[in-house]
Amino acid sequence: MWKYEKKLQYPVNITKKDLKLAQYILTQYGGPAGELAAAWQYLDQRYSMPDDRGKALLTDIGTEELAHVEIISAMIYQLTAGATPEEFKAAGMGEQYAQWGKDLFPSDSYGNPFNMAYIKLAGDPIANIESNMGAEQRARATYEHLMDMTNDPNVLAPLAFLRQREIVHYQRFKELRNYYLETLKK
Amino acid sequence: MNNYQNYQNYYALNNQNMNNAWNMPTNNPFNNMNFNKCTYDQKDIRPNEIYDPYAGFIRGNMFPDLYNQYKISKPYEIEPMNEQAQLLTNIDAISFAAHDLNLYLDTHPEDQDMIQLFNQYRMQSEEAVKEYEKRFGPLNVDSSSLNVCPWAWNKLPWPWENK
Repeated sequence: MWKYEKKLQYPVNITKKDLKLAQYILTQYGGPAGELAAAWQYLDQRYSMPDDRGKALLTDIGTEELAHVEIISAMIYQLTAGATPEEFKAAGMGEQYAQWGKDLFPSDSYGNPFNMAYIKLAGDPIANIESNMGAEQRARATYEHLMDMTNDPNVLAPLAFLRQREIVHYQRFKELRNYYLETLKK
Repeated sequence: MNNYQNYQNYYALNNQNMNNAWNMPTNNPFNNMNFNKCTYDQKDIRPNEIYDPYAGFIRGNMFPDLYNQYKISKPYEIEPMNEQAQLLTNIDAISFAAHDLNLYLDTHPEDQDMIQLFNQYRMQSEEAVKEYEKRFGPLNVDSSSLNVCPWAWNKLPWPWENK
């Protein structure tokens, strides 16, 4: 089971409205390299891990990804706070507003709904963990693209934090992969 | 073992051949990969040092060996606007430190020094949360600060709301 803590893993305090940027960041919510896909991919992979080491790491990183979903959601919420329907239209987000109002809807930046087919499962620890290493790298690259598109320090700070977490997660997955490559063949 | 070197050589070779074929990105992506300095094996290389909780928290990474930056020249400081935010930042930092050590220990389960440090942060975090909840209300629904009427869980600002 999970417990809710009434705080973000990293604080989000965005004061400048920027709808277009919110639309770009949306992909890290419900896009192919987004946090939602990562969380579900890792949590679903726990069931084929051969030992406690893998079960623990996937549980812990999967749980952290859920916290990242909340950070991304907070960023989108604050970037669009107080926006008028006219502003949604002007930012090319009229469709978004028409369908969901101001609710968050998990989609990529183009508006394609989140697709569970993004998550990579193979029922095999090496195949699964290598998918995760790829997922972390794709997310890191996406965060760098997002950082390229803004100079607002209140947006850059959480993006830089999230990017850094991908690097740490990649490292831990790689350690687990190497450990299994050596131990599973014995 | 050291994929990093291989990547760099590969990149350098290709770069000579296709110098003008594509525009070099301003940030060479291979500068972002110092991933190979720790291994899974606790008898092998251990991290030389780790950041203190606040320094690690603002970087999103407790391990200097793994840390690298993109675009920004240094990590952003958190600037709490009042005492409540100050206490919360302290909780954020210590619980982040404990969490990042938790992930490390998942793949290095026999690093005794790190287990000790993890437990130190875990206890500090517990204390800091208790102190915060006593003064500003519950962060967790199992908090003893909920033994009040009216119901206190729905009082605080929600985390996604900008103060």
